[in-house]
Amino acid sequence: MASSSNPSSSGGTGSVGGGGGGPCGACKFLRRKCVPGCIFAPYFDSEQGAAHFAAVHKVFGASNVSKLLLHIPVHRRLDAVVTICFEAQARLRDPVYGCVAHIFALQQQVVNLQAELSYLQAHLSSLELPSPPPPPPSQTLIAHPPALSISDLPSASSVPAAYDLSSLFDPMVSQNTSWAMQQRQIDPRQFGGTGSSSSTGTGGDLQALARELLHSQGSPQLPGNDAPPSSSPSPPQSLSK
Amino acid sequence: MGSGRCAACRYLRRKCTDDCILSPYFPSNNPQRFVSVHRIYGASNVSKLLQRLPTHLRAEAADSLYYEAQCRLEDRVYGCVGLIFLLQQQIHAAESQLIKTQAEIAVMKSQVQHP
Repeated sequence: MASSSNPSSSGGTGSVGGGGGGPCGACKFLRRKCVPGCIFAPYFDSEQGAAHFAAVHKVFGASNVSKLLLHIPVHRRLDAVVTICFEAQARLRDPVYGCVAHIFALQQQVVNLQAELSYLQAHLSSLELPSPPPPPPSQTLIAHPPALSISDLPSASSVPAAYDLSSLFDPMVSQNTSWAMQQRQIDPRQFGGTGSSSSTGTGGDLQALARELLHSQGSPQLPGNDAPPSSSPSPPQSLSK
Repeated sequence: MGSGRCAACRYLRRKCTDDCILSPYFPSNNPQRFVSVHRIYGASNVSKLLQRLPTHLRAEAADSLYYEAQCRLEDRVYGCVGLIFLLQQQIHAAESQLIKTQAEIAVMKSQVQHP
């Protein structure tokens, strides 16, 4: 696999491919010559990389991914490849919803937690004041959260810069700052769910994917995924740092 | 002929047949929708994906593809996975707050019981 831990530009210097190291996973899958400077070579090794690339090619197409990566700075490409692989695999597993299914599930969790938190906070307030405790929220609120549809999801430009939970549930809120501008580097520790948090196993999948791609880069082993959750949200760090 | 084409066939400059698989989901009044999907997935991949699905599920699939494509165009590095990270962080924060609140309630209750 990739011997270079510092992917060069696509114009290529020392990346594998065509240099006697055999074809990268992408070129192996595509059955083409892996030229020096192959844009996929740093990210898809000849073993597991071919399998990952198969999914990517089936969903996005090699040409589209190549164009996408060309528009991304080299130091950000590994993160992009990880997320592209994740989306591709999600789409193959769930051809109707792909990653959106994960987003739905997580939003439902957020709604549930918010409801529970509101109830408990009200209950706490009632304990602090000499008044009867509030009635528990109706079972329908927690047990049957409102069904979400794709049209309820926030638009790509409406996710706020700050971590304001309420704005996520108002898809029509227009924000001044595109969430895409709040580029966060991926911290592999963020991938892992904390037990019941990631009911869909999203975090575990992402972490496994990141480990495979990073490991093929010759990077040090990632820490385990049992890191405790931070009490406050913090921007994740880059995979490639 | 030209005015009857769906957004996909209009963009691809081809004839839009009666059985065009894309036309129900990429109407001519929303050309940007197809442009976004095409830029990320390509028309061929989208067609193949929709063809593999039962008809009653294709609309949702087209919507989710459009959503993910928009996310990827907005954020080329993370796409919609960025939103997944954000939600996971919010869940962690809410869970921490829940634990803290539950502890506070326990303390309050014990103070009431054992003043």
